[in-house]
Amino acid sequence: MLFSVISVIILCVLLFPLYWAFITSLKTEQEIFHNPPTFYPHVLNSQSYAAQVETGDFNMFRSFANSFLISVGATVIAVLLAVPASYGIAKYRFKARKVMLLSFLVTQMLPVSVLLTPMFIMFKNMHVYNTWIAAVLADATIGIPFSVLILKNYFASIPKDLEEAAYLDGCNKFTAFIRILIPIAKPGVMVCAIFSFLYAWGDLAYGMTFILDQEKRPITAGIFNFMGQYGTKWSYLTAFAVVTIIPVALIFIFMQKYIVSGMTSGAVKG
Amino acid sequence: MNRIKKIFRYDNVGMLFVLPAFLYMLIFVGYPIVRNIILSFQDVDAGNLVRGTKNFIMFANYSELFKDGVFRTSLWNTLRYTVLCLVFQFIIGFILALFFNQRFTLAKPVRGILLVPWMIPVTVTALMFKLLFATDIGVINYILRSLHIISKNIEWLTTPGSAMFALICANVWIGIPFNMILISTGLTTIPKELYESASIDGANKVQTFFHITLPLLKPTIESVLILGFIYTFKVYDLVYVMTSGGPVNSTHMLSTYSYKLSFEMFKYSKGSAVANVLLVILLIVGIFYIKVTTDGEED
Repeated sequence: MLFSVISVIILCVLLFPLYWAFITSLKTEQEIFHNPPTFYPHVLNSQSYAAQVETGDFNMFRSFANSFLISVGATVIAVLLAVPASYGIAKYRFKARKVMLLSFLVTQMLPVSVLLTPMFIMFKNMHVYNTWIAAVLADATIGIPFSVLILKNYFASIPKDLEEAAYLDGCNKFTAFIRILIPIAKPGVMVCAIFSFLYAWGDLAYGMTFILDQEKRPITAGIFNFMGQYGTKWSYLTAFAVVTIIPVALIFIFMQKYIVSGMTSGAVKG
Repeated sequence: MNRIKKIFRYDNVGMLFVLPAFLYMLIFVGYPIVRNIILSFQDVDAGNLVRGTKNFIMFANYSELFKDGVFRTSLWNTLRYTVLCLVFQFIIGFILALFFNQRFTLAKPVRGILLVPWMIPVTVTALMFKLLFATDIGVINYILRSLHIISKNIEWLTTPGSAMFALICANVWIGIPFNMILISTGLTTIPKELYESASIDGANKVQTFFHITLPLLKPTIESVLILGFIYTFKVYDLVYVMTSGGPVNSTHMLSTYSYKLSFEMFKYSKGSAVANVLLVILLIVGIFYIKVTTDGEED
């Protein structure tokens, strides 16, 4: 009982920044500047959300839609490429296997700074600069290595007998992979999809560097732009923050078991 | 002979599965790395970035860097920021992992919710901490004032030393869940019998911690610290949104300084050189990471 009480106190302290941002988004600007600060909104103000639906450069719902499109695109690319790749690495022993595995490991720790300028030049030459495609292509490079490394453990843990039984039933390598192995590795595929989505959703550097026009930019870049132009209009800024957190919160509520699995299996060998 | 041929063909099929992902990474990551290295030996600015001749000036960008005070500050900042963040998030994460390893009703659900800070987009975290550390309306100044620790509001983000402190707080907040969950997982792999026989032998809690828990957690601790180093050392979004390297360049990290050189001052080659210094340091640490994660991998 005592431990449960302590754990709730820890929870309140650690999640206070989130609570504070949430209630600030519901306060009037006047109440935000009130001294001493109010710990819940005395006057409920939904203006900071409503105003942004209607007009302005900083329509956060359009930014939200941009982010969503970019993140889903990056997730689709990452999963489509990583699922077969991790299967190949887990189940076959070909010559370049070690080099390829190592290259996925290395790319996972690269800083964005190394890639920004060359990617910038590349996307200009490909004529995708300042389109959502540039952000999708760049964001997928975060999801792919992560997904390959996670999924290879899932595929490696599937016993060979299952695969061989599929061959006896008349499957070839590709149909066995699609009909038997992918369904078994489904929890792993979910982990990859969720993390690829979260990585892309949280990206600022790529979205900000490769997309110039505010109306095409993801929501993170929208927040950053807004800060630059309007400084500290905190009710609007925190409303922006709350909207950005919504998909993260939904993923957390409905898919929590995959989160723990993704956070741990990437770092500690199984 | 035929059998060898068959095996070879079988394994080639495996490579076909990997090839699309590998080629994708080669085009969008491998090629940029090479391009970035070349760029750092050239003299590229906004004028000749996409078209035009690029002169090779060899190591001029690098030698210029070491005379550059902001670069030296950034390097030093990145190092001390990383070390301080690691120390705090590791200690707090470890304590929380031990705490939630006890058996009580709320242990699992509360530990689960504590992962949320790690999942939130860093831009949002930066924004939230900017609000907490705000001078006039910031709740941190309010608490310190109420406790009579300060009499006048501190300008956290516009004073060099305290700006760094605010950045570290925000980063530790993100890092705690990561450390906690990895150490928690590590703790569950320690066989319960070991603790039982230790208590039969009359060992107290402190003794079991230092003689059983710590030694058996060594592989976990290694990967937590190395991964933590890599993630923290390449920090970009958090610093860029909270301070943009200011005030007067005092919180620049290698990543943010590289970004500033390339995309605000359009000195692309010099920015690339800074990014490569960052890359080399990460690769050196990465060797340890690869050793830890691939240890025990079959063949």
